[in-house]
Amino acid sequence: MSKIHHDRTHHAKKATNIGDPQCFKGEAGAPKFKVGDRVRVKDLPDLFYTRTQTYPRGVVGTVTVLVYESPAPEDEAWDNTDKSEWFYSVKFRQKDIWPDYHDLYANDTLETELSERWLEKA
Amino acid sequence: MAKSDKHHLDSGNGWHGTNVAPIALLENIRRHGKAWEELSAKYGVANPDPPWRITLDATCDILAGDSSVLPQHMVVPGSCALPSLERRAEEDDLSETIYADVPFPERQLLALAHSMIRHGLFNEEELAEQMKKVHERLTSA
Amino acid sequence: MSDKHKPQPMVDEVSDFEILEMAVRELAIEKGLFSADDHRRWTEYVHTLGPVPAARLVAKAWLDPEYKKLAVTDGVKASLAVGVDWINSPPTGFGTPSDYCNLRVLEDTPKLKHVVVCTLCSCYPRPILGQSPEWYRTPNYRRRLVRWPRQVLAEFGLQLSPEVEIRVADSNQKTRYIVLPVRPAGTEGWTEDQLTEIVTRDCLIGVAVPKPGVTTNAKRPVHPAVHPVHHDH
Repeated sequence: MSKIHHDRTHHAKKATNIGDPQCFKGEAGAPKFKVGDRVRVKDLPDLFYTRTQTYPRGVVGTVTVLVYESPAPEDEAWDNTDKSEWFYSVKFRQKDIWPDYHDLYANDTLETELSERWLEKA
Repeated sequence: MAKSDKHHLDSGNGWHGTNVAPIALLENIRRHGKAWEELSAKYGVANPDPPWRITLDATCDILAGDSSVLPQHMVVPGSCALPSLERRAEEDDLSETIYADVPFPERQLLALAHSMIRHGLFNEEELAEQMKKVHERLTSA
Repeated sequence: MSDKHKPQPMVDEVSDFEILEMAVRELAIEKGLFSADDHRRWTEYVHTLGPVPAARLVAKAWLDPEYKKLAVTDGVKASLAVGVDWINSPPTGFGTPSDYCNLRVLEDTPKLKHVVVCTLCSCYPRPILGQSPEWYRTPNYRRRLVRWPRQVLAEFGLQLSPEVEIRVADSNQKTRYIVLPVRPAGTEGWTEDQLTEIVTRDCLIGVAVPKPGVTTNAKRPVHPAVHPVHHDH
């Protein structure tokens, strides 16, 4: 049998009674960004799987919370859970995401989470 | 004997992998049963899940007792009828083999019945007999 | 039955799978693996998960500033006070029916209004809000809320002045969100139970704001349609 032997239940074993993403706490090392940092979302290739939408790519926002540590979905989708990274909640101005967003509502914002690999210092 | 060696659960209660040899009664349902996606399309019903989906989930969970509550090494062997990790591992193996062409959740149901027979919780004849009774009840006027 | 009054479509056919599900369940009961009542209780639990715990969380936060602080910093811990244990919840015990256990409570102010969406599919804080409404899962809501939040909110009957910042929370990773709305005027001196009643599901998603007198359980007037539409399936 050439198929890779794999036990899908290992995640349940790891997360039971602890919770996900709590079970990855302490695995990501030092975070690269802090609350208040200005960050730009990279436009990385997403050939197989991602949870990073197209709309915030290339847009600059502000880190509001360091939310948790977890493997990135691009890895976790394939069950590669060896390496966790920090996840950041980032707030964007709607005007910056959608250039034709009405000026009258320039205060409007959008907040979403991104893993560290998707962010660079702006 | 057809066995899958994909899963290695160190459950300490004698689980040795999934027996994926077909069971005649369930084979017959697999071949001739009408799945929800076919019935709902035929009758113009929008609900994506069959009405029995929730009771099926309840059956799976209740058979698992506290094996889905506790970390695996703390599950007392024999403390529940069908430990959750074993059932799920078997469902995975069966879904990739003999029930690969069955849609979800019909496939989960077939795998549950398959596992319950293989684990000796009831036998094929008893299940066939019970199905006959249910069928008569549901189709009698 | 006349052609003018057709019932909702239903599957009028018994399938082998439906019979198999019942037979497996009844045989398990007959063998003593569980009782019919155990099974009913579990099924009832899943069916009746609803927004009441989250509504109570909001009411408590309105009444107790210390609890509010906990709610906005650690939603999972704050949920314990309203009977929701995201990690070890009964009766399943392996957590509530959600893959992830990170709840953030988004606090509105008179100048800031949050509204929640999942643009990817349907991520929703089910352990504390129950099952998501149909519209929450539609492409219409998911695509348009991030792009035109004010128009979509207006369609829900919520019009906000330009001075109020609307903040859309897109739950596309492991965090689930509920909104902690501003306590409305006219609720001074109310008890926790009274306040809980006016925090409806839609207020917790953020497409509505709580109002005294408007509760989920209140009877709504229903009028027959003037030109009823008939299903022809």
